[in-house]
Amino acid sequence: MKHPLDRTDIDNAWCPGCGNFAILKLLKEVLTELELDPKNTVIVSGIGQAAKTPYYIGTHMFCGLHGRALPVSAALKLSNPALTVIAEGGDGDMYGEGGNHFLHTIRRNPDIVHIVHNNMVYGLTKGQASPTSQKGFKTPVQVKGVNNEPFNPVSVALALKAGFVSRVNIGNYTHAKSVLKEAFLHKGYALVDVFQPCVVFNKVNTYKWFKENTAEIEDSHDSSNLLSAMQKALENAPVPIGIFYQTMQSTFEENLRGDDTRALYSLSHDIDKLQLLFGAY
Amino acid sequence: MNETKVPFEATISDQAVSLPEKREEELPGRDSISILIGGAAGTGIMTLEKILTGAFKRSGYFVFSTKEYMSRVRGGSNTTLLRIADAPVNAPCWYTDIFIALDTDALSHAHERLTDHTIVLADENITHEEIEITKIPVSRALKELGGRHYANSYVTGVIFGIFGLDEAVLTESMEALFDEEEIHKNKAAMHQGVVYGQSLKDLPFPKLPGQLQQKTNSMHLMDGSSASGFGFLAGGCNMITAYPMSPSTGVLNFMASMSEHFTLLVEQSEDEIASLNMVLGGWFGGARAMTSTSGGGFALMSEAVSLSGMSETPAVIYLAQRPGPATGLPTRSEQGDLNLAIYSGHGYFGRIVLAPGDLQECIDFGYLAFELADRYQMPVITLSDQYLADSIGMLKRVDFSAYVQRRYILPTDALYERYKFTENGITPRGVPGLGEGLVVSTSDEHDERGQITESSHMRDKMVKKRKKKISLAILEAHSPKVMGEGSIAVIGWGSTKGVITEVLRELADPRLFQVHFVWVHPLDPRHLEMLKETKTNIVIENNVTGEFSDILKKHDIDIHHRILQADGFAFFTDLLKEKLYNLVKEQK
Repeated sequence: MKHPLDRTDIDNAWCPGCGNFAILKLLKEVLTELELDPKNTVIVSGIGQAAKTPYYIGTHMFCGLHGRALPVSAALKLSNPALTVIAEGGDGDMYGEGGNHFLHTIRRNPDIVHIVHNNMVYGLTKGQASPTSQKGFKTPVQVKGVNNEPFNPVSVALALKAGFVSRVNIGNYTHAKSVLKEAFLHKGYALVDVFQPCVVFNKVNTYKWFKENTAEIEDSHDSSNLLSAMQKALENAPVPIGIFYQTMQSTFEENLRGDDTRALYSLSHDIDKLQLLFGAY
Repeated sequence: MNETKVPFEATISDQAVSLPEKREEELPGRDSISILIGGAAGTGIMTLEKILTGAFKRSGYFVFSTKEYMSRVRGGSNTTLLRIADAPVNAPCWYTDIFIALDTDALSHAHERLTDHTIVLADENITHEEIEITKIPVSRALKELGGRHYANSYVTGVIFGIFGLDEAVLTESMEALFDEEEIHKNKAAMHQGVVYGQSLKDLPFPKLPGQLQQKTNSMHLMDGSSASGFGFLAGGCNMITAYPMSPSTGVLNFMASMSEHFTLLVEQSEDEIASLNMVLGGWFGGARAMTSTSGGGFALMSEAVSLSGMSETPAVIYLAQRPGPATGLPTRSEQGDLNLAIYSGHGYFGRIVLAPGDLQECIDFGYLAFELADRYQMPVITLSDQYLADSIGMLKRVDFSAYVQRRYILPTDALYERYKFTENGITPRGVPGLGEGLVVSTSDEHDERGQITESSHMRDKMVKKRKKKISLAILEAHSPKVMGEGSIAVIGWGSTKGVITEVLRELADPRLFQVHFVWVHPLDPRHLEMLKETKTNIVIENNVTGEFSDILKKHDIDIHHRILQADGFAFFTDLLKEKLYNLVKEQK
């Protein structure tokens, strides 16, 4: 069925059954339900299958380099704070190649939504381990199974006191939708780590596996308490999904621009002032 | 949100901008003296440089100063060279008329730069077996004043005393730098220095050239970093994202200071990769963004340089060169990154590389970098180097209203296609939120809408579209500046401009003339025709292989001689003069 946010006449490069389709559907529905104007919305991505999402949705897009969506997003939001900015990509893109930017974007706290398709495998390069692959996961490169400790984006984000930290399972669609909506409503950086199966290259972490190994965070959880959020983040049997932590902080663009939300393209420098400053030399 | 307008809206069909006309005014006289001051880092030698250059300018002289310093925070042995003249001077000399050593190390460090005529001044406690020293009681005076950090003020006083210059002028220069609390003791130290300096006036000091108060009053004194910064501001820069790296940090600092006066967003990024990606995000959103870096940092940016080219997102990169590689001499000078600037990145895409050679050109081409990046939607790299960035010189008043302001972004309509084919290869650029259309930017090969494609036909057409842009840009390339005429061309690029000018003037050989390139890539073959008619082409470059010479050779220009230097220093007039003289004396 055609959604108003569909781009028309597009050849989708995802495999049949891929979790990406549901994330795309989810994103379109959330944007529509929150009445976010696609003409004021930009999706920024890097490289990979998840990073192709912007090509399939009728908003502005900036598809750049592997791992580099976050710095682009932060600067874009700075150049025009009136835009809704979404950074989207996979676990390799955002946590591997772009790991450093992940840390520092959280520190900046730009008002963006950061959606990470986390399928615990490198799909586009045909099945190597990703930073979130579980120990023992065998691949053509990790022939004896993954030795490295999996990257926990939630606990890392919490350690940096990210403003909004969440994880969802795309198999639990209604829950995922409610969390993603909250992420959009949050002012500041919002991480939504999305469990999503790669049906071709990850035969371990399947729809079924995610269903059996995740559990919604109970309502009693105080999402303003950083310490209990961190405790939750370290649980893994089952893996909690939902909003771990939320706190309000001033944003990157507020810190640099104050109340000035004008698009930079509409501004110009006062040449008389420049002349005066030069004159002081 | 759609009601906002783009100021200075322009399109590619508008004629290329021309830089404001400047008439080179010849000034009488050619006298100059040089003063070299050596001391450890962290002892205020840079403050001393600022006070003295300001004071000599206020006294009616043309001044130039340049420093060489070690890559350390405190200690080591650094020098600042001042040249005081009755005509514009824009180059350092190796041998010095006066040398002031603030510590013993400075004597050994600068030993080679002394001649039989150099007068060496140093503290009473300092001795040297081979160097004759005129003692000054610096440490004694400082003991009375209660602090080593007044040494610089004392020394500036000595210099002014020696030449019998007006103490009030020195005070003025000093007041511009110190706050209330500091100024009192510094003035006292300076005064003691002046008195002592006056007592030395019978020594055979070189004579100061004639004063030109009226000329110098109307001039401005600044370093290359500040001049570049003024150029970028004239070009409308309103965002800079950079990782600090000598010697590019001067521009970052300057822009940060200017963010107090303009809407100019400054972010220190986590690395250079982020820096340039942020620049691209900024331009995509409608900002005029830039980054500043040096060779090692630029190396990290190369993937994003490709992205700028491929996605046709403008970018301005200020690359201040230093001797590399990995990581070479962090605080010294070289023109060793020309090839890096021209060839970095993967795949083919157009770019423009500019290399200003003096303060005025830093402003002109800083401005032009933004104009060109926006006009051609490609990366523009402005090359500087430690020598140009850190040297302080003088320039005439610049009329900033003379720089035509333009912004090549247009409101989009609903059918807008970001990569639509046009005759000249340039698609009008939209930005998100301005107009009805959707704006895309993409690193994968794409169709006119910006959708991924692997069609060989589309790939071919898009590659040609991007190539066409550079053919167009070449037509607007600035020709090299030709100064004088003759049969032997002395060719340089970037920061060697001043030293070559002075050497040619000194040699006064009617066969020699100067050819100075600022627009170093891509070259317009029409501008090179003249070099096919010269009898001899000599290229002078501050690198080990002659990177620019090789580029000229690729354009079928015969290069007969190369004068190359890659020892961490910029060229010195006296040493280069000798080299060039020896080279051309046998020539017919």
